[in-house]
Amino acid sequence: MIRLDSIKVSFGDFTAIPHLDLHVRPGEFFTLLGPSGCGKTTALRTLAGFIQPAGGTVTVDGKDVTRLPSDKRQVGMVFQNYALFPSMSVWENIAFGLRVRKEKSADSDRMVRDIAHRVELSDEQLAKNVAELSGGQQQRVAVARALVLRPKILLLDEPLSNLDAKLRHQLRQQLKDLQSEFGITTVYVTHDQDEALAMSDRVAVFNKGVVEQVGTPQEIYDHAATEFVCNFIGDSSTLTPEFVAQVNAASGAQLSTRASSYLRVEKASLDAPAGGGAAVGLPGKVLSRTYHGLHSRYVVRSHGADIRLLVREDGGAHPEPGTETTVYVRPDHILQYHSETGAALQEQDRQDQAVALP
Amino acid sequence: MSGTPVRAMVRSPFVLVVGVILTWFIAAFLVWPNINVLIATFFPDGSFSGRAAEKLFSSQRAMKALGNSFLLAVALSITVNAVGIFIVLVTYYFRIRGSRVLFLGYATTFIYGGIVLAAGYKFIYGDKGIVTSLLLQVFPSMDPAWFSGFFAVLVVMTFATTTNHMLFVANALKGVDYQTIEAAKNLGASTWTILRRIVLPMLKPTLFAVTILSFLTGLGALSAPQVLGGREFQTITPMILTFTNSPTSRDLAALLAVILGLATMVMLAVMARLEKGGTYFSVSKVSSELQKQDITNPVANVAVHAVAYLLFAVYTLPVVLIVLYSFADGAAIQTGQLSPGSLTLDNYVRVLTQPAGLRPFVVSVVYSALAAVIAVGGLLFVARLLQKYRNWVASVFEYLLHIPWILPSALLALGLIISYDHPNPLVGGAVLTGTTVILLIAFVTVKIPFTLRMLKASFASVNSSLEEAAAIMGAKTLYVFRRILLPLVLPAAAAITALNFNSLLDDYDTAIFLAHPLVQPLGLVIKANTDGAEGTEGVANTFVYTVLLMVITGVTMYLVYGRSGKRRSRKRLPEVPPASSIGAADVPPAGGTAASGADSKVPAAPVR
Repeated sequence: MIRLDSIKVSFGDFTAIPHLDLHVRPGEFFTLLGPSGCGKTTALRTLAGFIQPAGGTVTVDGKDVTRLPSDKRQVGMVFQNYALFPSMSVWENIAFGLRVRKEKSADSDRMVRDIAHRVELSDEQLAKNVAELSGGQQQRVAVARALVLRPKILLLDEPLSNLDAKLRHQLRQQLKDLQSEFGITTVYVTHDQDEALAMSDRVAVFNKGVVEQVGTPQEIYDHAATEFVCNFIGDSSTLTPEFVAQVNAASGAQLSTRASSYLRVEKASLDAPAGGGAAVGLPGKVLSRTYHGLHSRYVVRSHGADIRLLVREDGGAHPEPGTETTVYVRPDHILQYHSETGAALQEQDRQDQAVALP
Repeated sequence: MSGTPVRAMVRSPFVLVVGVILTWFIAAFLVWPNINVLIATFFPDGSFSGRAAEKLFSSQRAMKALGNSFLLAVALSITVNAVGIFIVLVTYYFRIRGSRVLFLGYATTFIYGGIVLAAGYKFIYGDKGIVTSLLLQVFPSMDPAWFSGFFAVLVVMTFATTTNHMLFVANALKGVDYQTIEAAKNLGASTWTILRRIVLPMLKPTLFAVTILSFLTGLGALSAPQVLGGREFQTITPMILTFTNSPTSRDLAALLAVILGLATMVMLAVMARLEKGGTYFSVSKVSSELQKQDITNPVANVAVHAVAYLLFAVYTLPVVLIVLYSFADGAAIQTGQLSPGSLTLDNYVRVLTQPAGLRPFVVSVVYSALAAVIAVGGLLFVARLLQKYRNWVASVFEYLLHIPWILPSALLALGLIISYDHPNPLVGGAVLTGTTVILLIAFVTVKIPFTLRMLKASFASVNSSLEEAAAIMGAKTLYVFRRILLPLVLPAAAAITALNFNSLLDDYDTAIFLAHPLVQPLGLVIKANTDGAEGTEGVANTFVYTVLLMVITGVTMYLVYGRSGKRRSRKRLPEVPPASSIGAADVPPAGGTAASGADSKVPAAPVR
């Protein structure tokens, strides 16, 4: 559906994106995720046709659109602040593109009302000024305005970033529902990992203009391909070589002690797993406990590593700070990255590194 | 803050003293003179009389002047918008080669205007003007008085009053969210469609406002019709002036002034209405900065470039010629032919060393400085009280202080003349008309509305917890004012004083009515020179005055706007708290922070 091949984007001397290859499949909800300034918006704007890449090609539906202006690419866009025209009513905003195309006014009206109906805007709201609408309604107007031209692709540039937390959650769902209803290929830009994980079919994680990993939300969470992705997504504790060595000793696993090692907070436990399983217990001392209602966050020091973990507040007795306890860890949950390249270690690499140990 | 009881307000001796002085000033110089004009018009002998109206309707000259004024007002609204919108677009919206240079040319009206500009155009294009002399050598048969009448007045006023566009429309344009333009592009709109359907509609409220300002400028025009209108094109204000000078027709002058005042009030009421109903509040919380647009059609691109540079020439030619000929000798000025040998510093030496040349300059500087300092100094207290106390008494005072903003200066001047040409108890039984004081009073009066608004804004920008913190530690009202508020407001006050000084320096419209015959400010001398009173020497003097005024105005504008402008042009970072709140955290805040808050919104400073 969408292909970005060897895209390079520079602003003067600054290279925002050195080399980018991306492939978005038809009907997919594809998210570009990364911290601010990582190049995700630049990538989206290149796709939209607002930025001319210094090299590479943009292909939509098999057609090279690299040199085409934005409106000839059949992409609809919802801007960060919706970019609704303040001098026009809701109806005029949605009809703008149709009128530019010189559609017959009867057809325009029908199409505007149809799309408005589908995004649940009432006729009464169509007559209103955009400033009179709530944030959620404005978002639906922006989506309707983009979709009324029947684009092949919908681009969303952090459309939820300037809303308060509650509304953001609500609109996130609405947006996802609209997308699945229309079945339109969607590229979504966000810096909010929670949003990316909850909404996307696939996610591309950006860092400094480079895609670190592309995968389903679960893939990038459970099998973060690089140290950056591991740190950016989710919450993990850094493990010390001594800790890893103890895990190896207790379980017979062959984890590398030279690599950077991490453990997700929800993967460690203070209770022995019910089925026994592959988990090993290591002794530690509770450093602190923070109560959150639903759960408590613990920091437990074990073999030099400060293991952060969550304990469900289900009414049971839990250790207090200062007491000795046992941390249960499964060796296959430990994420390991090459200390120089940051790439995830494969089984083979681990053994090589393990062998190389003196 | 809402509603301090009036009784609580008058308990403070500070408020009482300021209140008494203010009440006297308003009554004596803002209210009574204007009521007096109405009385002179309709109750000349103590009972109602329509004689003034009859006289007016039977005077062909007066009726023609009325018609001309409205014609000029309408025509000016159209031409100023056409030129103004164009120059704003080519400097800020479209990608035009050399737009920075173009901006400098278009901005020349910031440093000279009013009588100085009209005189400059006359000396260049008028019947004895430099360009006309040169043209006559090429086309001996052409009419030397080609640049006069309605056409000349309209041209000069058009190019003189685009300042409003460069200030307000440009500012509104910068506020347009660039994402809306990108959205329109994405939806397939062309450059022209985006301009017509998205950008201009968003500027509409501002355009309405500047159109009304242009209309009022045309309606009340004085110097341009006087200098360039000739016999056949006279307008209301010059007519008021003529009628004022003979006691038998003062009622006519008063009636014309009332008509002018009424028209002004109606237009301003319309403007206030439009401002309330028509402003488009941007719905975005994060907006992106406007980026310049390419004109994609090559023919249109070339045409726009051509017109832009043509206008640049029109704007800059007078300035360049005035500067050049200010160094020229009499012969060169008369024939227009300039040789490097005829350029000397003689004109400057004469103006700056001979008493006759220097005197008008000194008179203007003294008057302007006194008026600027009195207006700001006095209103510092008033603005503070109006900002602190919000009740009906404060509102009444505030409205009354805006009278000079609503009424044309000709009406105010006439009111002062009529009210104080005989001993009046309001001013201790003195006669003011014909003295040097009356012009100073008028100068202070006309600067009140602008000064008050600016000072109130800068008081409002002071963090109120500073004051509360001082009060908790036991500081008294006056002490807080002197030690906490004043230092914070002072930079803004200094800037306002400078702007007031600037705009009064070349004043003509007020001075022509009120100046003492022996103490003539610059504007009057320049006007006299355009009539050929002092011959070529007078012309040369005027050029020197103009250059000096431009330098003074330019330096002031740079000090007030220039440096802070550079600071602001950087990309805004919303995460960073504004400088003022950082300053508020430490107890002695840096003095400069208060000014930036106020002058970012300074309107109307160079509007003439």
